[in-house]
Amino acid sequence: MAERVTLPSGGGEMGARIRAFDWSATPLGPPETWPAALRVSLGLCLNSAFPMCIYWGPELTLLYNDGWAPVPGRRHPDALGRPAREVWPDIWPIVGPQLAEVLATGHGYAVSDQLLPMTRAGQLEESYWDYSFTPITGEDGRVVGILNQGHEVTARVFDRQRDALLLGLGDRMRLLDDAEAITRMALATLGPHLGAARVGYGEIDHAAGTLDIVANWRRDEAVLDLSGPHRLGAFGDDLHRALTDGRMFAVADAHEDPRVAGRPVAARYGAAGIRAGLVVPVLKGGAYAAAIFVHDDRPRGWTDHHERLLGLVAERIWQERARAQAQRALRESEIRPRLIFEQANDIVFTADLDQVITGANPAAGLALGASPQALVGRSIGTFIAPEEFARTTAMLRRKLADGGTTRYEVEVQAPEGRRLHWEISSTLARDGDGAAIGLHAIARDVTDRHRHELEQRRLIDELNHRVKNVLAMVQGLASQSFKGDKPLTEAQAAFQARLAALASAHDLLTREKWEGATLDEVVAGGTHPFEGYGTRVSTAGPAVRLQPKTAVSLLMALHELSTNALHHGALSAPAGRVDVRWWTEGDRLLIEWQESGGPAVTAPERRGFGLRMVERALAADLSARVTVAFAGPGLSCRIDAPLPAHDDRVGA
Amino acid sequence: MTGPEAGTRVLIVEDEPIIAMTAEDLVEDMGCVVAGSAASLAEAEVLAARGQFDIAMLDINLNGETSLPVAAALQQAGIPFVFTTGYGSGAPVEAFTGVEIVKKPYGAAVLAAALGRLAARVRGRDGGTGDR
Repeated sequence: MAERVTLPSGGGEMGARIRAFDWSATPLGPPETWPAALRVSLGLCLNSAFPMCIYWGPELTLLYNDGWAPVPGRRHPDALGRPAREVWPDIWPIVGPQLAEVLATGHGYAVSDQLLPMTRAGQLEESYWDYSFTPITGEDGRVVGILNQGHEVTARVFDRQRDALLLGLGDRMRLLDDAEAITRMALATLGPHLGAARVGYGEIDHAAGTLDIVANWRRDEAVLDLSGPHRLGAFGDDLHRALTDGRMFAVADAHEDPRVAGRPVAARYGAAGIRAGLVVPVLKGGAYAAAIFVHDDRPRGWTDHHERLLGLVAERIWQERARAQAQRALRESEIRPRLIFEQANDIVFTADLDQVITGANPAAGLALGASPQALVGRSIGTFIAPEEFARTTAMLRRKLADGGTTRYEVEVQAPEGRRLHWEISSTLARDGDGAAIGLHAIARDVTDRHRHELEQRRLIDELNHRVKNVLAMVQGLASQSFKGDKPLTEAQAAFQARLAALASAHDLLTREKWEGATLDEVVAGGTHPFEGYGTRVSTAGPAVRLQPKTAVSLLMALHELSTNALHHGALSAPAGRVDVRWWTEGDRLLIEWQESGGPAVTAPERRGFGLRMVERALAADLSARVTVAFAGPGLSCRIDAPLPAHDDRVGA
Repeated sequence: MTGPEAGTRVLIVEDEPIIAMTAEDLVEDMGCVVAGSAASLAEAEVLAARGQFDIAMLDINLNGETSLPVAAALQQAGIPFVFTTGYGSGAPVEAFTGVEIVKKPYGAAVLAAALGRLAARVRGRDGGTGDR
């Protein structure tokens, strides 16, 4: 049958190409010989608005329509009439077995979101497709060709992957509160997702004129770490200009790109191992503020998807870093006052307007013997006397009326009956509208200072008392010295000598901090008038400690005995002598004053001051039995006193 | 000077011998009688319990003790007395309101006037003028 065979008309550009094609050189042979199934299928293909192609015969020779023409990229239009294996060497490992399966079984095949790493625009690109292979059967029922319908879904897949990535990233970022950790985590997610050698993020330091790369994720240790500051423009002016203008900068192959290859910056690319790279700026207020980049060590095409993904991740990193930094600043601003509050040695507490404690620091708890929590809810009145509470209430009224800070001292009742003196400085706490809502108070324990002040006052009172007492003694010495009808010069000399004796007693006690004196010191002071009499005077006895007041009285009494001995007694004669001895017998102290070799002794008609002093002073202060004898070799005085038990009482 | 009338019996409590002797001389110079002179709280308590004096002058501080127990006893017994002391404001005698404090050192005139006022109270009481 010589039926006239014509190829289908129409079909746009591809229709024309197919009709003009020399098919005789292909396994299909001239169109006149084509089976009906091929011609019918071709008509269907060329008239379809959907991307469609036919793989015909065992070689899977390719025919396609205008819709399908962009699919093979630069391979169009040379792909027409070529075997599929030759057209698709890049994706043959994937589609070859799928086509073979359809040929062998006669069953159709359909797939969606199929990843096909396809070389387009000279670069290997990740692309995703929805497509189907439908078998075309010949008259004998065998599969003679395959109809392929399909379209690229890379954008959809990328969008979905990007959304999933960003969603997961957002969730994980929110769990972190450290800006660096957030950055590292985001990059570590992005890097493997892109299958890149390196991804990094940096922020502009305008003052330093640098891009500070905060972190960079690297596929492995062999990839150079670029973290740290880099001078702006270090990777070329073209790159810097693009970023400053708010545009991305993409290099598919540094060996080919005229902005890199053969220029000085190529060395930098080489040193950093950058064969392909994409940098996307982050704009803040219209200005270049940060950048995110992806590098690869092989040529690689970058698409809008990559730019969009990097832009979104960078924006998310920027926001989360800002959040983390703000949170950290807030936390520190909260922590610092909190630490001051917690660690202050001063007592800090807050109270409401009813003076009920609403907060207290550890120092307050320590002072009041309770945990800070246990103080909350208790009235200030619990810790101070009612009249003190009335005072703090008055202070509060004053603050409510006049504002300001009040400063006052209160006596606080601490546990175990301790009384503390607190100096409190308190201010009203106000709400946002300025209404008083409570009190802030800082208190300092001034108990020690208070005690010191009291002690000081006591010492001053005591000093005053002693001075007055000494003045009274001086007055007594004066009235005793000038009494009677003694010649004035004699009275004056006696008075002066007595004053000197009193002064030496005080010197003695001052040396001993008024804690007492020893008997030998007192005897030495009291017999001071004997100075220059050498061996005519002897004193001897063991160390005995005397109370301050006793020391003064005994010294004054010995002074009277000494002056009497000089003027009327043994030492008034050339051969006279005085021996002073003391010793202890059990719990008694015995002191013996023995004059000898002087004029004959007679009892005086009237007991003068000296004698009275001896008998009185010693009787009173030593609780002594005093025996004065005017007989024998000379005047003798025997003092028999209980051994003084030393104590620290301050004499009057 | 309105001193105590002659023969008024005075108890002197003073632990400092020199001051005590001077006080005794002053009292005797006024024509009064030193009914007793105590240098310690223990002595003073004995003498106060024995009585036989009209008025008293008590040094507050007695070598670390105070004469306040004696003061209380005298107040109980209705015997007028003055305190003598070198203390300024710090004297611990708040409880004895109305008791005169003669500050050391005191001169004859001051002591005589103070003791004169005490003696007048004794006379007033004995004369039944109803001041108690």
